Amino acid sequence: MQPALRSSTLLIAAQLVAQLCAVTSLAADARLQHWSVQPVRTEFPKDASVDGFLRAKLAEKRLAMSPEADRRTLIRRLSFDLHGLPPAPERVARFVQDADPRAYEKLVEELLASPHYGERWARHWLDIAHYADTHGFERDQLRPNAWRYRDYVIASLNADKPYDQFLREQIAGDVLAPNDAASVIATGFLAAGPWDFVGQVETKSDVLRRAARAGDLDDMVTQVITATMGITINCARCHDHKLDPITQQEYFSLWSVFAGVKRGERNVSAEDTRRFTDEKARLGKALAATRTRIARLTGEGFELATLLPADSGIQVQNGSVTKDKLGYHRDIQVNRLQKVEAVPGVKWVFIPDGKGEVNVDFKLPVSGVPATSGHFWDTIANRPLNAQRSTTLGGTDFAAKGHRLLAMHANSGITFDLPKLRELSGHQALRLTGIVGFGATPEVASSRADFTVFIDATLAFQKLKLRKDEIAALDVQIPATAKTLTLVATDGGDGIGSDLLFIGDPKLAPRAAESRLTEAEAAELRNARAELTKLEAELKSLAEPAKVYAVVSDAQPPVIKVHRRGNPEDETIAAAPGTFSWAAHAKAAFGEESMPEGERRRALAEWITHPANPLTARVLVNRLWHHHFGQGIVATPSDFGLGGERPSHPELLDWLASEFHHSGWSAKHIHRLIVTSAVYRQSSSTFQSRVPRTPKPLDIGMSSYVDASNRLLWRQNPRRLDAESTRDAVLAVSGQLNLAAGGPGWRDFKYTEAYAPIYDYVTADTPELTRRSIYRFVVRTTPHRFLTTLDCPDPANFTPARTQTTTALQALTLTNSEFMLRQARHFAARVEREAVSSLSPQVTRAFQLAFARTPTEAEAQAAITLVRTDGLFALCRTLLNANEFMYVD
Amino acid sequence: MNSAFPCQFRQAPASRRDFLWQVGGGLGGVALTALLAKVHAASPQNQNSLAARPAPSPARARAVIQIFCPGGLSHVDSWDWKPELAKRTGQPFDPTGKLQFFASKPGNCQGSYWPFRQHGRCGRWMSDLFPRLAACVDDLAFIHSMQSKSALHGPAMFMANSGFILPGFPCMGAWVTYGLGSESENLPAFVVLPDPRGLPPGGVINWGAGFLPAVHQGTPLNTDPEQPPIADLFPPKDFAGLTPTSETSGRNLLQTLNRQHAATRAGNTELDARIAAYELAARLQLSAPEVTDLRGETDATKRLYDLADEDTGPFGRQCLLARRLVERGVRFVQIYCGAENTTARKIRPNWDSHEDLVRDHGYWGRVLDTGGAALLHDLKARGLLDSTLVICTTEFGRQPGAQGKGRDHNPGAFTAWLAGGGIQGGTSFGTTDELGFQAAEHPAYSYDLHATALHQLGVDHERLTFYHNGVQRRLTDVHGHVIQEILA
Repeated sequence: MQPALRSSTLLIAAQLVAQLCAVTSLAADARLQHWSVQPVRTEFPKDASVDGFLRAKLAEKRLAMSPEADRRTLIRRLSFDLHGLPPAPERVARFVQDADPRAYEKLVEELLASPHYGERWARHWLDIAHYADTHGFERDQLRPNAWRYRDYVIASLNADKPYDQFLREQIAGDVLAPNDAASVIATGFLAAGPWDFVGQVETKSDVLRRAARAGDLDDMVTQVITATMGITINCARCHDHKLDPITQQEYFSLWSVFAGVKRGERNVSAEDTRRFTDEKARLGKALAATRTRIARLTGEGFELATLLPADSGIQVQNGSVTKDKLGYHRDIQVNRLQKVEAVPGVKWVFIPDGKGEVNVDFKLPVSGVPATSGHFWDTIANRPLNAQRSTTLGGTDFAAKGHRLLAMHANSGITFDLPKLRELSGHQALRLTGIVGFGATPEVASSRADFTVFIDATLAFQKLKLRKDEIAALDVQIPATAKTLTLVATDGGDGIGSDLLFIGDPKLAPRAAESRLTEAEAAELRNARAELTKLEAELKSLAEPAKVYAVVSDAQPPVIKVHRRGNPEDETIAAAPGTFSWAAHAKAAFGEESMPEGERRRALAEWITHPANPLTARVLVNRLWHHHFGQGIVATPSDFGLGGERPSHPELLDWLASEFHHSGWSAKHIHRLIVTSAVYRQSSSTFQSRVPRTPKPLDIGMSSYVDASNRLLWRQNPRRLDAESTRDAVLAVSGQLNLAAGGPGWRDFKYTEAYAPIYDYVTADTPELTRRSIYRFVVRTTPHRFLTTLDCPDPANFTPARTQTTTALQALTLTNSEFMLRQARHFAARVEREAVSSLSPQVTRAFQLAFARTPTEAEAQAAITLVRTDGLFALCRTLLNANEFMYVD
Repeated sequence: MNSAFPCQFRQAPASRRDFLWQVGGGLGGVALTALLAKVHAASPQNQNSLAARPAPSPARARAVIQIFCPGGLSHVDSWDWKPELAKRTGQPFDPTGKLQFFASKPGNCQGSYWPFRQHGRCGRWMSDLFPRLAACVDDLAFIHSMQSKSALHGPAMFMANSGFILPGFPCMGAWVTYGLGSESENLPAFVVLPDPRGLPPGGVINWGAGFLPAVHQGTPLNTDPEQPPIADLFPPKDFAGLTPTSETSGRNLLQTLNRQHAATRAGNTELDARIAAYELAARLQLSAPEVTDLRGETDATKRLYDLADEDTGPFGRQCLLARRLVERGVRFVQIYCGAENTTARKIRPNWDSHEDLVRDHGYWGRVLDTGGAALLHDLKARGLLDSTLVICTTEFGRQPGAQGKGRDHNPGAFTAWLAGGGIQGGTSFGTTDELGFQAAEHPAYSYDLHATALHQLGVDHERLTFYHNGVQRRLTDVHGHVIQEILA
């Protein structure tokens, strides 16, 4: 598609003219002349360079660049900029001593080729995608498969994937290449932001659901347009954009592009999923048959919990089987039998309220079920329930190997099909055994529950108002003629809180040993057991098909209407899929309301990455510039509209954008142009810089006076490490950084499942938890205190540029937090390991690791004094708090 | 006066620092400094810049204490007298059957579970749920017509705190410290006292700074007397290898290294600010434990706050700490009276009384009544109430139609009250319909409550702005009216 587009430049120009002429009333609008929507310049001097553009501007103000920084400064600057990590002292030494005049360029190539480059720059992209690993809002649940998108970003950057392709995949990868896993994973971009489970799913109110969906679509549209084109499209949600010529209708046309898209977990590859499902079904069937054979031969009895697939539960609303853990069910229909089709041997599930007639089978009412609240929690499951704290009864952990449990939170009932169970178990006369009790810890408020067993309509067992610290043993004889067995858990009349009832090892045992085994039978039993072990191992090793938190789409999206004043309950005219016409490089209308979902996103992806799009390339090269200098050529990296900053060096911006195009959208090419320039390599000191060709050098501050904010870049900007770089640098210096790349995020918290999950952070000090910060599992509602204190932004926001504060809380965290203290101790141990055991070399080594330089004589003396009295640990702790450690010159 | 869309007044700063100063200029030359944290420009020689700045307009209040009751406090059982509702108890609330609340279809009308009586000189009606607060009614000004834009806890909490139903926006406390700084040299400007049972719905971002510099976020104070009041205030007690001398000598070497480093980098004020931050941290190690040490309080005070009671004591302690913080110059204190719906327990961990309102509001009512009334009495007795604005609010109300023995969420109406800080007590603003279902006269949102609170602090809510991703953001979005009717 790319070459076709490139060959149609004339056509584009024609379209542009046509559009401008068609909208004659707008033709006079000066806003259409805004610099950022004009085509990118294509004519540049032959010898154009980053330095040329910069020098020209400086000369206008009679300023000049500062001299080049020393090599030690340069390697530290480059390492943090390109890798987010400090350089190893050995690499510093090699670079400083390298006689090759191209030593610097070699270093740049080495750093760009390293996988740490992608790890660093993915952070910047994920900031504008406001990526995290949980939903956010009240029920801040996990997104266990979101990480694949994060790894996709890292891999794409490392491969220097053409930026237009990178964007197209993230907007419409599932449409463009549905069979390519990476393309499907890329759409995790659209799903990266927060999502309100309660508003989208849990509430029963349609008004609330529409409001939540409106917030969702606004977030998606805003993210795509601000990230790629730097236009504040969200300002046109309630009214036409106040500054930029963008109408509210156009804003809702963009909604229409995403109207068929929802955030959700999806399989990465349809083929893998099918293979997995088939294989699992085959193994499941074989396992059931083998277990039946064994049960028949041994008379061991039949495990009720194994009727369900492993780690599964039955949903009481519809009788279906799920692996999910569910929450609170109330206001669902009580006393209604729900057929369970997927589990052989189970006929029904239901929620008894004990007030009306309770049927345990079709037209089989029973009496004796206590009155209940009619509420229920989670599912009837053969794994611990949502929020279940304990799986131990009477000292036996029924979640341990060799045991099974059937969890039945009040209020629930399950009816088994006895003829089927007789067939499965191979026994005619049965008895039900097991232990009933609570899966709650004793600290939880007092709570009582009841447990009742019916055989057909006969009450066969009942324990009323069971206390949390009590257990009840089941041993119920089942007549050979009985047709149904029903287990009922009820809430004890005091609500369902903490009624986490479960049965340990529920079993249908034969009433008596039925036979002794013949030799042939014994052999068969051995075979069956071997077969069982094999099948279980196979099932266990069966890899789940890869999933990703990305987009799930409807082929035919709903019609989107413009919302008067942004109110979802006040809809006006329909908005067909399209975009805004201000950027006039290609047609803004994509199609009719009948346009299929995928085509809409494909059209937007092409419109954004169109070679004549005036914004996409400018915005990206400006973002790269921003992260190399702490300030963009346009100082508002996500606002290129009339409200944004004007570029300090417009020709340079266009030259870089044009270089970007010509290089095939190569970000690494732009990095190279920037970091090898003299501008980038300048010293950051305010002492230098002078007016050119002045006989007498001026004093400090001439440049500061003319251009205090350094917009013209007469020096490099000193920068403080951001939160993630600080953490990574601390670990790198202490020797504890685990460079293992990719995969699920590391979690330095204890997770407790609950209505609103609880995240309790722990101090990270194991290899699993001392990986790079980019691989952190990011929780929205409970931010990481250490990183947040150091200005790590809230992932609810799009963050094109980080704010930076200097606070006493930062000082406290860096001096006193257990994480920092432990790392200081590791740092000290490392110094002891790596330097000969005398004070002077140890101090030198510590300075080299922390600051990439050796100490001065005075510093060494002061440090040695401290080490003598308080040990190496005190010195290492001090160095990690020093400004020199936290700042890059 | 509210026609201005925030998108209109973008005045582009040349740099972040310039920007802060420009905004400062917009506030009448106020430097945007908040303690524990100055954004740039601080130097050891310039400690005065840490002091609070005068408010742009005359202020009636110097500090704010906000009591937040998460979960949804039922207005019809507490502050908002609805005799018609009582009369219709047992009759269908929605005969059409068309209404659908957050979690249920409405049951029958259900009058207040507690009888209402007239109280004080003003003769306002309050229910027996709050006997002690009823005795303070002549100091309270009620806004009966509060509404929320969401009936979901998370978004409604965010709206009540930040004016937006989405996460990521700065809360009122952050805006206030951004605008006014702190009067305390040794304590954070914005302190949060979470319920000891846990975090409120939506978590710690309820007191987040959103896109404002992180320095403005609330600092949670640990209300457990056994724990250090602020995280990382001291190294963990059991951490081996620390000695008192290593603390001092390490710090001395640090400041020496930092000063040498800064000396060769003249003009970089960030470096000086960071040196100052370490000095402030050292001061905080002395001042923070002093605030939470209640040994100096009299027995009478401890009894007033009911500190010894197992149920009401923890909230009483939060209220007493709030008074102590305000006494020491803290600008904004937020107290949470309730936590998150973490698990279905016998008594709800907050005001979200779906199943059993008498049980849950009965429990939480006693908690709020005891601590809240003690706080008002104590502030008044010490002459602090005049300069301290006390606000009590929740994220939404509850339905007049029953949900079994409880009530469902009602974003259409709830009550907030204010006291002290230039508020005219014994008054009210706005009404609800005869059943308490929807706001009737003068519907109000968090915007109006926030605008009024800022006004009392001497800040015009339309001029307190911050540029973020293309928009000059405000606490009150594009809305908000100061409620003059309840001002003294």
